[in-house]
Amino acid sequence: MRKGGEEELDVFFNLTLNGLATGMLIFLLAAGLTLIFGLMDVLNFAHGGLFAWGAYSGTWLYATTGSFIIGILGAVVTGLILGLITERVIIKPVYGNHVQQILITLGLMLVLSELLKVVWGPNQLSATAPDFLKGSFELGGIIIIKYRLFIIAVGFLVFVTVQYVLKNTKIGLVVRAGVMNKEMVQALGINIKKVFMLVFMVGSGMAALGGVLLGPYSGVIHAEMGMEFAILAFIVVVIGGMGSFPGSILAAILVGLSGSFMAYYVPDLALAANMLLMAVVLIFRPQGLFGWKG
Amino acid sequence: MSIQLKLEDVETYIGQFHILQGISLEVRKGEVTVLLGRNGAGKTTTLRTIMGLNPSTKGTITFNNEEIQSLPTYSVAQKGIGYVPEDQGIFSELTVEENLKVAMKNESDRTKERLDYILNLFPDLKKFWKKPGGLLSGGQKQMLSIARAYVNDNELLLIDEPSKGLAPIVVEKVMESIIEMKDKTTIVLVEQNFMMASTIGDQFYIIDDGQTVQNGAMEVLKEDDEMRRKYLGIA
Amino acid sequence: MRKVKSIFVQRKNIVYTFIAILLILFPFMNDSRSMMILFTQVFIFAIFAMSYDLLLGFTGIVSFGHAMFFGIGAYAVGIFMKQFEPTLPYFLLAVVITILITAIVSYVVGLLTLRLKSHFYAMLTLAFASLFLVLAEKWRTLTHGNDGFTFRTPELFRDRLDFYLICLVSMIVVFLLLNRFTNSPLGKVLQAIRENEQRTESLGYSVIQYKIIASVVSGVLAGFAGILYSVSLRFVNTSVFTMDITLDALLMTIIGGVGTLIGAIIGAGLIEFAHHWLTELAKVHWIFERWIIFFGIIYILVVMFFPRGIVGTVRNIKMKSKKRVIEKSEQQKAAG
Repeated sequence: MRKGGEEELDVFFNLTLNGLATGMLIFLLAAGLTLIFGLMDVLNFAHGGLFAWGAYSGTWLYATTGSFIIGILGAVVTGLILGLITERVIIKPVYGNHVQQILITLGLMLVLSELLKVVWGPNQLSATAPDFLKGSFELGGIIIIKYRLFIIAVGFLVFVTVQYVLKNTKIGLVVRAGVMNKEMVQALGINIKKVFMLVFMVGSGMAALGGVLLGPYSGVIHAEMGMEFAILAFIVVVIGGMGSFPGSILAAILVGLSGSFMAYYVPDLALAANMLLMAVVLIFRPQGLFGWKG
Repeated sequence: MSIQLKLEDVETYIGQFHILQGISLEVRKGEVTVLLGRNGAGKTTTLRTIMGLNPSTKGTITFNNEEIQSLPTYSVAQKGIGYVPEDQGIFSELTVEENLKVAMKNESDRTKERLDYILNLFPDLKKFWKKPGGLLSGGQKQMLSIARAYVNDNELLLIDEPSKGLAPIVVEKVMESIIEMKDKTTIVLVEQNFMMASTIGDQFYIIDDGQTVQNGAMEVLKEDDEMRRKYLGIA
Repeated sequence: MRKVKSIFVQRKNIVYTFIAILLILFPFMNDSRSMMILFTQVFIFAIFAMSYDLLLGFTGIVSFGHAMFFGIGAYAVGIFMKQFEPTLPYFLLAVVITILITAIVSYVVGLLTLRLKSHFYAMLTLAFASLFLVLAEKWRTLTHGNDGFTFRTPELFRDRLDFYLICLVSMIVVFLLLNRFTNSPLGKVLQAIRENEQRTESLGYSVIQYKIIASVVSGVLAGFAGILYSVSLRFVNTSVFTMDITLDALLMTIIGGVGTLIGAIIGAGLIEFAHHWLTELAKVHWIFERWIIFFGIIYILVVMFFPRGIVGTVRNIKMKSKKRVIEKSEQQKAAG
């Protein structure tokens, strides 16, 4: 009897950790999406492509150099560079035209994931965690997988850092002000397009970081996972409120946890549950649970 | 007195609508120039066109002997023009302090001096220093918006209907502060409230159907009932 | 001036009729089986692309989940043929079921998001389509999961030539219907919405209702295309619900030319033939395996520089020369 209870507790903690880890990965993707949208009304459908590029470039670098840290840094740099190119070449020419923007970013998504197959081949790559993050340890009778904890820690660190920058620096202030009223920000003498470029780059870097972290977590990476995670990130952005950074982490954890628990108890309905949540939010609170911008 | 801002035959389209059809005006340094006219005559658009928010399609806009009509909004602002929009443009989730900080170019002594000056003029802002802008009263929002345009070391302020929606006693307070600021900066004011306009204005321009039709010293307009009736619908 | 214009319209109709007759005669002149099958695919995807054009080109709505309607049709007919009898009555029943489900789904999705910014519809349709994909993967008793299943079709569709003609006629009918529809007063309202939503709303039209009508009509037609698709293969698997299908519709309409219908047909021909030939070239060099990348790049360039696609751009050029012709004739008249 006691043993059964312990097992249940074990399952509960592991599902929670699992959900938190997945939630953090989705958060890394959704945070950029929501800020980019809030600032410039641009919904980047190629964001999942940047995620996948981060995964491939990072995993490849890690495999070639043998250093996980270099892999992660390489992925982030790849994200920053691709973000810069995307903003300058793809997004900038179609500022202000929503339909064109949506169409063009999806086109980029297609090109990015096909290019991935050109560079690294169409098959999936396998990825493993570095030795110091392999395996698990016991804490109060519960077995905790190290790498999951690592993802949660990195995600949390990113959140705290970005939140600190948003709250306490001039550039963060400008970003928050821009989300609320970009015309006024410009009338105060600030070139918002430069700010936007920066946000776009940072957002892409975060997405790429999420991608490379996913590798050892799921064991393999493939080009389609960009779109799969992007869909979850879209759901998060809607639930959290478009343009709300704190909303994105709360909603991401919500979606991660619900996915993890549903996948254990009623596996067939995992995605459906999140979709239902999104539909309910859209009907009753289209500005999102934590946002205010419609 | 030297001319600080000059518009010559400025025309502006918004979408397919020809809103400004020939605006010409001169703003002299250190004066308050008031733009008058009926609703929809193009007063707000004139200010927005100066700021580059609704770019002009024809004509020239000269500020301190430099043509600015094709500059983007942020460059216009950097040249030294502050803008107080009709809806005040307060960042509602930022605190009063943060609203002002976004506007401050630097933290030099000069900026601090201007900040101190404006906070003395509007002590309410100091009182609600850490309060989100969205929770301020209408009058306080107006003060914050004016303060924000001022701290940036601007030589010229464009203020759009500061009295709109405010209680008479608050209007008076705002009016007093604008009179007080006259020594420090040039002001272009859009105002429907003729009492306020005539009290603080030095010069006036009347805009009708997107064109400047009359101008002169405010004293003249005060005496000319006929002109007021014709263009402003007031006696 | 009206006379000059009507001559142009007439000439256009003659060209269309001529091409239609050529296509009808084609299988009798050319006995290449693979060509006939390829053309059949073109007709089916032309219907699918036209249904997409009604949304994107005529109403200005961006959907990223058009595959779900296509897939609903494809699975509906497959399941009916497999679970029951491959006869015409069951086929018709599958058609009715397809119409019902696609109408309901497009209505619900439209109701949820069409009152919000265009981003929401694109996002929600994308997410909904992925939900259908998961459903098709998981409901194994009905769908056999990823692998899919083969099925037999009613007698009527078994002959390749007959099926070629059925698809061709379907395409022509859908084209004529949509042409009628988009030129009707209702269609004019849709185009007004595309041009300026607020103005249309302020003229007293309930924009959301018109948008929903467009999305329902479009969804039903896409379902119909899906039916023909799976009948043509006598096989259905989860690929009908994937992003690739939606991307096909996007590439076809955008490259062909949005808001023209004929552009969707041309785009379908272009992509299907390119697919056919470039996949063969993959034996020569592996890069051709990734042929879609070229179209992705072309697509981006078209969105950026020729937002009206091939047909729209050609029309623009023709319009200019037409104007010149009219001006000339008027000048001559004035001179004479």
